[in-house]
Amino acid sequence: MDLLNQIFIAPFVDMVAAPDFLLQVLWEGLVSGVLYALIALGFVLIYRSSRIFNFAQGIMVVFAALTLVGLHAMGIPAWISVILTLGVMFVLAVSIERIVLRPLVGQPDIILFMATIGITLFLIGLGEIIFGGENKQMISAELGIPTGDTVLEPWGGLLILQHLDITVVGVAVVLVGALLAFLNYTQMGRAIRALGDDHQAALSVGISLQTIWVLVWFIAGIIALVTGIAWGARAGVSFALEVIAYKALPVLMLGGLESITGAIIGGLMIGLSEKLFEIYWGQPILGGNTETWFAFVLALIVLLFRPQGLFGERIIERV
Amino acid sequence: MKHFTKLAFAGVLAALTAGAAQAQELYTPNLAYRTGPFAATGIPLMNGQADYMAMLNARDGGIGGVMVNAEECETGYSTEKGVECYEKTKGKAIVTQPWSTGITLQVLPKTNVDMIPILASGYGFSPMMDGKVFQWAYNTPAGYWDAADMIIQYLEGMESLDGKTIAFLHLDHPFGKEPLPVLEALAEEKGFTLNPIPVGLKEMQNQSAQWLQIRRMRPDYVVMWGWGAMNAGAITEAVKTKFPMENMLGVWWSGHDADLAIVGEAGKGYKSISWSFPNLDAPVMADIQKHVIDAGLSKTDETEMKGVFYSRGIIISAILAEGIRVAQAEYGVAEINAEQLRWGLENINMTEARIDELGLTGMVPPFATSCSNHTGHSGGWMLEWDGEKFVKVSDHLTANVAAYTELAQKNAKDYADANAPWPVAEGCEG
Repeated sequence: MDLLNQIFIAPFVDMVAAPDFLLQVLWEGLVSGVLYALIALGFVLIYRSSRIFNFAQGIMVVFAALTLVGLHAMGIPAWISVILTLGVMFVLAVSIERIVLRPLVGQPDIILFMATIGITLFLIGLGEIIFGGENKQMISAELGIPTGDTVLEPWGGLLILQHLDITVVGVAVVLVGALLAFLNYTQMGRAIRALGDDHQAALSVGISLQTIWVLVWFIAGIIALVTGIAWGARAGVSFALEVIAYKALPVLMLGGLESITGAIIGGLMIGLSEKLFEIYWGQPILGGNTETWFAFVLALIVLLFRPQGLFGERIIERV
Repeated sequence: MKHFTKLAFAGVLAALTAGAAQAQELYTPNLAYRTGPFAATGIPLMNGQADYMAMLNARDGGIGGVMVNAEECETGYSTEKGVECYEKTKGKAIVTQPWSTGITLQVLPKTNVDMIPILASGYGFSPMMDGKVFQWAYNTPAGYWDAADMIIQYLEGMESLDGKTIAFLHLDHPFGKEPLPVLEALAEEKGFTLNPIPVGLKEMQNQSAQWLQIRRMRPDYVVMWGWGAMNAGAITEAVKTKFPMENMLGVWWSGHDADLAIVGEAGKGYKSISWSFPNLDAPVMADIQKHVIDAGLSKTDETEMKGVFYSRGIIISAILAEGIRVAQAEYGVAEINAEQLRWGLENINMTEARIDELGLTGMVPPFATSCSNHTGHSGGWMLEWDGEKFVKVSDHLTANVAAYTELAQKNAKDYADANAPWPVAEGCEG
């Protein structure tokens, strides 16, 4: 009886009793969700255009953030460091296309996936040689990222909104908007979509596979840099950031591997639901730390009913 | 045939020479981690350890005239890789340094078979303090139960803990759970409520849920058992949620300068119990500067050298070196073996005078080991972040070891029973 009360009544009583706290939980869930969606976007873009599941997206986040911090440590002004980091990510995209992907065109998907594992290991080693493994401070102040907070008192309670978090949400919205506009209203964007829809048809009308692959890997690099700045500003830049890429996996399972909308909605759904579950059910009933598995269970439940994810394309194969 | 005889003779001579050359070193491998999510906290410790041994090699020609080979085997803090490293290095090693509670727990059962002492300074399985049962394991100079007891003692020195609430924020890993038995016993004895809050490995950098729980719980204190990226994650969340930093305390592995530097002034008041302290004026620091840093043999930098973790690395190597010296003196040989080092490690007597003699003044409290006491229970100091660095804010604290000796002996016996046949040093009483 007590357990039933803990599951069905107590959480809602808590929510009503402390609505300011519920708002704080929802805000933290929203911020986490936006950050998850950002990581997932990098995966989706590359998968859409090349059917490659990019295992290296997590290390790209670390590499981009470390490059930015490392360049600034050499005395280069912050925003010039950002531009140079984008240059490094472009060179990386060209190198990956030329050295790794081009020789593997036409190979089975699993080979390309294995190649991205190779890229991950290479970038870990290269990053450690160049930047070392120490935790570094993100250059938030130098980039003009606000670090204060706004304290609100809804219903006489307390709601703390970090300016960093507000900035992250704002930048993510702008980035996603720009990405959608690019994909829908530019020739290159439409070429990426065409390649995602039908490889052979896209190639037959003259779309260059090499150019598109460089482009999507570069865009994934830009997303990695934004994600790296956002996460790095919260708790420093180190190789531990790579671990957060795993949080994108349930987002992709939930939203579907091909859908940008799916990545965004999946990220937000997981961010909000895992936070609500952890605070109101996980901690009181299960002792906490449910965030490590909750998102995967939620994604598995969705897969039971929609194997392609909420927004993924239904896979029909003619035999 | 003559040619063949010459070749054979040359071969035998080369083998003998190589054998002799190989024996002319003390092989003390370190299962280090300079990569992966925990590298940020591992690197300064490994650098401190390596630099101290390099200094002994350069200044004194090793220990007792034999050079030290402190080779590192990279584990990335992974238990599987750690076990591989142990297996790879155990052949000629006179000690193993697992550098993770998880790896220590895996390696521990092998020690009686392989007869290699484990040196797990300030970590590992706390009942290892019972040297009678764990003949080959040393968590010298202090264990996690010592840390838990000293933190609670320190808090009690400020106010009664009766009726108070303490949130125990810990890594969801064997390391994080290690002090729970003592903390639970102390909670019952002192009348405070202990609320454990686990942090998963994937959540180390996003602890908003844990800190929302802390906000809802409104604890009087937060005691942190964090490592790697978890420390910086927790400290930034504490600042963000406006938790009073003076009421947040951590174990010695949660007192890394670089983690606090991220929040700077906002972290002022945060405390960490520690059995080591960076005394930059200690003679050993000048020797390391002269023989290692200036000679270009080190991987450290000026900022790291001033930190708590670098100096702790130095102390760990100094403890090992002292164990080697004690064994060399006892057995009258310079090239000691693992069994002789085992004896050396359980007969260390680090008095104030000896600490000064080694040039470690003010960097570690005095302690002594014995066959039944493999921890040494040095005690420590409470350090506080002043916005730029850690400073001492307490006198020398010592743990009330008697309070949990019985528990340690019981857990040690349970471990031995579960891993039977487990040889116990019956004659060991001291």
